[in-house]
Parts: sequence; C-alpha cells; structure tokens
Amino acid sequence: MHSIIKTSFAAIVAAGITATSAQADAHALSGDLVIFSDMSNPAPRAVMEGMVERFGEMHPELNIELTVIDREAYKTQIRNFLTADAPDVANWYAANRMLPYVEAGLFEDVSDMWEGQMSEELASTKGAMTIDGKQYGVPYTYYQWGVYYRKDLMEQFGLSEPTTWEEEKANCQTYLDNGIKCYTIGTKFLWTAGGWFDYLNMRTNGYDYHAALTAGQEKWDSEKTRATFANWRELIDMGAFIDNHQTYSWQEAMPFMVNGEAASYLMGNFSVAAFREGGLDDSKLDFYQFPEITAGIPKGEDAPTDTFHIPSGAKNKENAKAFLEFVVSADNQTLINNGENLGQLPVNALSSVDDDKFLNEGFAMLSNDAPGGIAQFFDRDAPAEMAAVAMEGFQEFMLFPDNLDDILARLDAAAVDIYAE
Amino acid sequence: MFPNPIEKQSRGVQISYQALLPVVLIAWLLPLLAVMLFSIKPESDFVSGNYWGLPDTLEGFKNYGKVFFESDMPKYLWNSVRITVPTVIGCMILSSMTGFALGVYKFRANLWIFFMFVAGNFVPFQILMVPVRDLTVDLDMYNTVRGLVLFHVAFQTGFCTLFMRNFIRALPFELIEAARVEGIAEWRIFWYVVLPLMKPALAALAVLIFTFIWNDYFWAIVLTQGSETQPVTAGITSFNAQFRAAYHLMSAGSIVAALPPVAMFFLMQKHFIAGLTLGAVK
Repeated sequence: MHSIIKTSFAAIVAAGITATSAQADAHALSGDLVIFSDMSNPAPRAVMEGMVERFGEMHPELNIELTVIDREAYKTQIRNFLTADAPDVANWYAANRMLPYVEAGLFEDVSDMWEGQMSEELASTKGAMTIDGKQYGVPYTYYQWGVYYRKDLMEQFGLSEPTTWEEEKANCQTYLDNGIKCYTIGTKFLWTAGGWFDYLNMRTNGYDYHAALTAGQEKWDSEKTRATFANWRELIDMGAFIDNHQTYSWQEAMPFMVNGEAASYLMGNFSVAAFREGGLDDSKLDFYQFPEITAGIPKGEDAPTDTFHIPSGAKNKENAKAFLEFVVSADNQTLINNGENLGQLPVNALSSVDDDKFLNEGFAMLSNDAPGGIAQFFDRDAPAEMAAVAMEGFQEFMLFPDNLDDILARLDAAAVDIYAE
Repeated sequence: MFPNPIEKQSRGVQISYQALLPVVLIAWLLPLLAVMLFSIKPESDFVSGNYWGLPDTLEGFKNYGKVFFESDMPKYLWNSVRITVPTVIGCMILSSMTGFALGVYKFRANLWIFFMFVAGNFVPFQILMVPVRDLTVDLDMYNTVRGLVLFHVAFQTGFCTLFMRNFIRALPFELIEAARVEGIAEWRIFWYVVLPLMKPALAALAVLIFTFIWNDYFWAIVLTQGSETQPVTAGITSFNAQFRAAYHLMSAGSIVAALPPVAMFFLMQKHFIAGLTLGAVK
C-alpha cells in the first residue's frame, strides 16, 4: 500500500516537473477548461469524451470539465449559458447559424488562430467560419451531400452516372418508362426540399448567387431564381419524384429506394448507414455528384459543418484555444471521423479518410471538385425564419408548380421583414 | 335503472353489441399493439417499409437486450425510481398531516386554507413552466433529481390533501374525542388512532401518485436533462439519433417504461379503483 502511494506521489511530482518544464515551451497547460458539448448520441459522445481524455493526457495539470447536453435541448440552452455562465469551449454550427451569436458579441474572434497554416489545412470551410473577414470558431467534422442511387438499377437499364442536366433527365426518362420513379424524397419536415433547391440553384446560377440569395442580397422574384425553378419544374412535370412525398419524413421515404420503386435520393451521407441496414450493399448503392446544369459554372456543394467556439465570456481562453488547435489537427480529425467513430469527413485536408467508398468519394469531391464553394445547407445559410418560410414554399412548389408567382411574391415579402432586422 | 343491462335488451341489440365489442376493442388497442409489434421488428424492416407486416426476423431478444444493456435505459429507469418513490413518500407524509389538521381541528381559516389546496389543483400546470424553471435555476436545483422531487411533492400535496382531509372527515369523530377524554397528546392521537385508520386511503393514494409521477413527461423535460437525472419517460427520446429515429428501440423502450405502472395496477388493483372514487365521496 505504502509503495503504491509513494509511486503515485512520485508520478505526480514527476508529472508536475515535466509540466512546469514544458510550460516554459508554452505547451503544457494548467488551470481549468470547461467544455459544453451537444455531442450527445452514443458515438459522438464517445468521440467527445475521447478527445477530452487525449487532450487531458497531453496536459496532466489541466482540470477539464466536460458537460454533454442533449443535442436538441442544447439548441435552446445555448442562448442561456452563453450570456449567464459561459463555458470555455462550446459546440455549434457554421455560417448563418453562428451569425446571431457573433453579432451579439457572444463568440470570440479567433482570427489569430487561423493565420498561416490552419487556413490552408481548413481551406474548404474557411468561408463558412468567416463573418466580416474574421473567423469565429473551428470545424471538426462535415459530410457531403449528393445523389445516392441504385447501382444495380442503373446497370440493368444500361445507364451511366450523369454529368450534365441533359443526361440526368435522359436517365430519369428511362426509369420512368420502366415504371420506376427517379427520386424518392420525403418533404414532411421540409428540409429535404431545401436540399433540392440548394443544388438546383447552385448549378443553375452558381454558388455566389446562391449565397447572396440566402443572405438576403438578391430578390426571390428574379429571372435567375425563376430559371432555377424552371429546371426544377422540368423534373416535376416529368413525374420524377415519388407521389405524396409531403406525407413522409426522410426516413419514411427510404423504403421506395430500398424496394426498387425509386432509383435515387438526393441526401446527406448519413443515409448510407440506413441504406446498408436495409440491405443495399456497395454493389447496389452508389453515389454521384449533382450534375452540371449551366455549363462552366464552378460547382458548389452542401457540406453541413459542425464546429467548436470560444464564448466571449470564457474564463480560460488560452486553454480553450489550445483545445481548438488540438481538435483541428490532422491526426485528431482522422481519428474522430473514422468509421468506428463519427463516420463522417475530416475537414483538415491533411487528414486521411477511412476505407469507405462513400467517405472517400465525398472527401475527394469536397477537397477537389467543389471550386464554387461549400454551402452549409439551406436552413443553416438562410436565417431561421426565412428558411422556414422558403422551405414551405419549396414544398408547395413541388406539389403545385403553378403557384410559383404566388410563392415568390410571398418570399420577397417575408424577406423584407426578416433581413431588415 | 339507466343504462339497462345488456341481458335485458332485445336479441338484435345483443348481437350487434357482441359483434361490435371486439372491433372497438381492437381499434382501441391498435396503437399499443403496433408498439408491441414494432418492438420485435428488426431495424431493416423500417428501412424497407415493412411497417405493418410480419417481422422479417424476430428481433425481440436483440431489441430488448439493446434497451437493457447497450443504452442508458437502466439509468433512466433508476432515475424514475429515484424520483417517484421519494415523491410518493413525501406526499404521503405531508398530506396525512395536512389532512389531519384540516379534517380534525376547527379554526377560522380552516376552510380557506383547504380551498387554497383545492384551488392549486385547478391551475393548469403548464402555465407554471417558466416560473418554476427559473425558481429551480435560482435555487441551484435545475437538472437535479432533488429539484424534480421537491416540485412534484409541492404540486401533488394539494390533491393529496383534498383526498386525505375528506377521508379523515368521514372517520367517526367519536374515536378522537374518546382519546382526548383519556388525555392523550394530539400527536399520539394522530399517530395511534388516525393513521392506522387511514391505511386504505394511504395505499390508494400511493398507487395513484406513483402512476402520476412515473408517467410525468412535461416536468421531466422542463426541469432535467441528460441521463444523469431524467426519468424513463423522457429517456425514451434518447433513441432518436441525430439523423435517424430508431423506431424498434423506442418501441421496446416504451414497453419497458410502461411495465412498472402496469404491474403496480395489477398488484394493487383494489386500491387503485378505491383511490379513483375515494376523494369524491364525502
């Protein structure tokens, strides 16, 4: 017993010495670090706890306190704790979702961290972390969107992955002629229609126009936006989407594709796990980038990014910055995003991706084939109220395309109030 | 007497009654049957759209196994116990005393105090959400089992007092007078005379409050968060992942969560029905 106490005491002393000596190199940290996280589902939670453990091993003197809050509850509580009793590090989302907190001065400007190397390694999401030329947080994971399709059906009809709008429509016509719907979708909760609008608008008018539109700098009733809806209407008039999609959630729309009644699904990469559960292995399920519509426009992609921020009210900002640097390091991002953990994509370009067909294709696409820019998804890019009104409009358009004039007028009217604030 | 017993009705009415009864019964139980069916289905059934058909494979053991061994369900169940049992005990203690005071002693404000307890029952509890939440935050009891128990005790005591007071009123007052003549201290009268007579009421009330608190969802999500403190009713939603809802596990979890109150009902059926009518008759 004595010897155990002695050894552990010696270990503590030794750790203390190494810590102090290392502190001279400004590496080892001491004091407190309070982290609030919304990574509450089992796998993300394990990732978060793992990161804290590894960071704690690097800095034995540091007293880290991690609080994991249910992901949905977190969304309402963040307003509360950022103003009342701020932690040192908090989870949140990129782009417009962080704008209210940045404008209220609740997130710390971390532009100094982004100088130099980090901007290169995290180039793909720098835009999403930037507001008025300053960065307000760091990303830790994202995932791609794209068209997931039944490879076996495509082969059966002798088709190939489309790269242009004409090919996309031609493929679709073949499916329809054989009694198969081209796309499954469930618009009950609206956001799936937002995904379609994102892609159609980014391909028709380009990323910059799309970003300006969601930021309230462009009118909805314009020739450009109308062109987007005209392209959408071509598919609707063909009958490309499954019937009664307004009654399904995204999950409830999956059986159509699993049972071969629909050929593809414009969706995020999180759908792959569910498809595999439903028996679609890699010989039956594949992925392609949403095809080009207007020739020559640089392709933009949706890749919702989850982030870490330092609240302005944080008490241990130096420790918090060190943690953020640890989070974005290539090694850490490789580890936390692999198939056993988050199963998503690392943001750091120097990270490696797990051996998974969809993760590899997505990583290559976002790193190399998205020169237009990375969008965060409609309901993260547009302000919450605008997103709600607009996505309702998208759903209505998919069911009653003739109402377009009405819908656009309504969106412009709503935009006047929403962006004026 | 109205309604007329079925046996005394015409043959036609009897037949249609007998034919309709099973139909209505099944329609009534359909949601519950669906949950039971879902709880033994594999996840792939939901991805492939086989909602109502026979399960592709029987995964009952796997689903319930996951609920018990790979999720936070046991923790949530234990939280429910930690919340429900102290609340029941606290309510019993407080309301037997308030009921005794209001039922036995005649003092000027008696009726008004009693009305206040009763009036508390008529406040729709949803409107208390924000003030109670702020109060628990200020008292540093937000997200603690303690905070939830205290609130439940405070809120349920109103109903329990009504119940107990009326029950004590119905006891023969001569017993208490006889004890007083013997010169027995008031607290001993409470302890040795009244309390033993209240046993049926206590049992009925305990069963009733147990079910109320066990099934509470509203206050559980308002005052607590996370697996350290939330009861099982709120914990079921934790099977909703960030992107997907695990219907099969949620169903299995719901069945598990519903078992204790159901078991309680069957074990204490006599008291339960007594409890529903006891407060009403004076």
